[in-house]
Amino acid sequence: MKAKVPFVFYTSSQLVQITGKKAAHLKEFVEVMKEVEDSTIFYHIHHAYREHQFAPGAYSNDFAHWVGEELGESALAEKLANLSIKDVTSLSVLRSRIIEIVEEFLNNATEIRRAAPQHEFYFCKNIGFISKTKYQAWDLGEFCEMLKKVGLRSLFFHFFEARLRLNRRTNDFSDWIKADFNDAVLANKIEALDPYVYTLDELRDKIISLIKASQGFPWKKAVKWLSSKLKITQK
Amino acid sequence: MAQFKIKDYAKIIRPQNFDELQLLAERVRGKTLKMVNSTAVGGGVAEILSRFIPLINELGVITKWEVIKGSGAFFGVTKAFHNALHGSKVDVYGQMFEIFRENNEENRRNMTFDEDFVVIHDPQPAGLIESKKKSKTKWVWRCHIDLSNPQPEIWNFLKGYVSKYDGSIFSTPWFAKELPIPQYFIFPAIDPLSEKNKDLTPSEVDKILRKYNIDRSRPIVTQISRFDRLKDPVGVIKAYKLAKKHTDCQLVLAGGSASDDPEGAEVLEEVKNEAGNDPDIHILSLPPFADLEINALQRASTIVMQKSLREGFGLTVTEALWKGKPVIASAIGGITLQVIHNFTGLLVHSVEGAAYQIRYLLNNPQVAERLGRYGKEQVREKFLITRILRNYLLLLIALDHPNENIIQL
Repeated sequence: MKAKVPFVFYTSSQLVQITGKKAAHLKEFVEVMKEVEDSTIFYHIHHAYREHQFAPGAYSNDFAHWVGEELGESALAEKLANLSIKDVTSLSVLRSRIIEIVEEFLNNATEIRRAAPQHEFYFCKNIGFISKTKYQAWDLGEFCEMLKKVGLRSLFFHFFEARLRLNRRTNDFSDWIKADFNDAVLANKIEALDPYVYTLDELRDKIISLIKASQGFPWKKAVKWLSSKLKITQK
Repeated sequence: MAQFKIKDYAKIIRPQNFDELQLLAERVRGKTLKMVNSTAVGGGVAEILSRFIPLINELGVITKWEVIKGSGAFFGVTKAFHNALHGSKVDVYGQMFEIFRENNEENRRNMTFDEDFVVIHDPQPAGLIESKKKSKTKWVWRCHIDLSNPQPEIWNFLKGYVSKYDGSIFSTPWFAKELPIPQYFIFPAIDPLSEKNKDLTPSEVDKILRKYNIDRSRPIVTQISRFDRLKDPVGVIKAYKLAKKHTDCQLVLAGGSASDDPEGAEVLEEVKNEAGNDPDIHILSLPPFADLEINALQRASTIVMQKSLREGFGLTVTEALWKGKPVIASAIGGITLQVIHNFTGLLVHSVEGAAYQIRYLLNNPQVAERLGRYGKEQVREKFLITRILRNYLLLLIALDHPNENIIQL
């Protein structure tokens, strides 16, 4: 089955800018979090995941990493590491959620730990460069082939970045599958994948295997192949 | 120096990352760029520029490299600036700023800046920015040094120049200072094809190890660094001694020659005293340009240490990680960007901590193997010269889109 419009693969690159803002303890952290740009939240939520794509790490985001490693507040670090962008629809909601978690912790804290000099939280921001790749797909078979060819940054873009920065409610793949193939079951299965327990390589393989499983046995292809063989024999 | 082509790196990085490099290069093909620094040979900046410039030219950005000239007095001043910016107390004398200004003016008169982009490296040529006035050229100041705690008098003088640039680049967020211009964050990187990092055959490694009488059949713990107290070579020996009470190993401490550095010679003496008569401690005072030897020593090591007390970025750590070695390093400076504890290496805070981790890794080779493997993959993704190329291509695009957080290409 052919789509009405092809899935065009985009990719994103990033350049990091230092904001000059830093926090040595959690009270300061909350204050700065309230004033930084959305692109700062985006950078710190995902850059560890994006850059350590060869293996899943203990902390899925920079906030959790700093709180756990530099402040030694393990319980709070685990709460922050458990944040999932699937639970939120925008960066501003995500920011509020982080602030809420830290403020709740501060309300019950008996001491405020301070990071050592140069171990403070340095707020950076992300400049995203979005570009179209040469890859596009008209059907799901072609989609799986192209997904293997495009870089993991492209996967990252369609699975995470489009959702948060462009405020889409789902990942781009599910969007396309639902709209063009009317396959809500497959679209929901892809959307339901928990990306934080996989590397980007593994996530790509999972998506491909879900698509392949949804296709079942390719009867049409088999019949076409068989009839072409029969024609050759008849000749 | 062997000259490599961009396609030589295609086998080293992920193919998709290589494609992305080409895709970005299309956006800036034909643009012109000038790099300016203060030395053509010696030092990390000249080394990386000599490798970077042919590659970025091959990607289509027409790039020139120029080196400023200066009197002995000028370089005396800039050396003092360097120390002061790193936080040492330096006596400021009347002529200092004038010598800096005059020398930059003299260079400015003999240079042209017609390119689309100019990148000035470090403080020495920072005054060339005065040529910006009339041109449309975008100017960037690339700072390779740690500005976190500079002597205010010197920094305030330099800041007058730096603030006039269109942007700046720092190696880590904590090296940066608050500035009215954008500050980009670009890590340093290593060249995987250089003499110090290229693959070596086992027989090449053996040959070098034999030269230094190091037994390859027993575990080798190595620290590569100049003989400097800030690298804590004495602490490394203490950690080795503590570990050796439980587990057999040898220690290699290798660094540049200390003959021209009175303090280095003093430290080397302290190191020899601490080592005593232990035949398993190999103290190697390497000659300049001993890159191949360093490469072989790192490759032959079971564990690589970097127990520094203060560190910039720590490229020796990057080199060891690239060779798939488990690294035990102090949790300071740029090391913490590279070594994620228990993931891409082990971070320590004391001699005792270092000693325990040596014992732990020597007795858990599967953990050592995993740390080394993840460490190498991290370098492949983040700390190779191809990533600097990508960053520069993005930077040139960003300079043409000021104040935009999302740039559609």
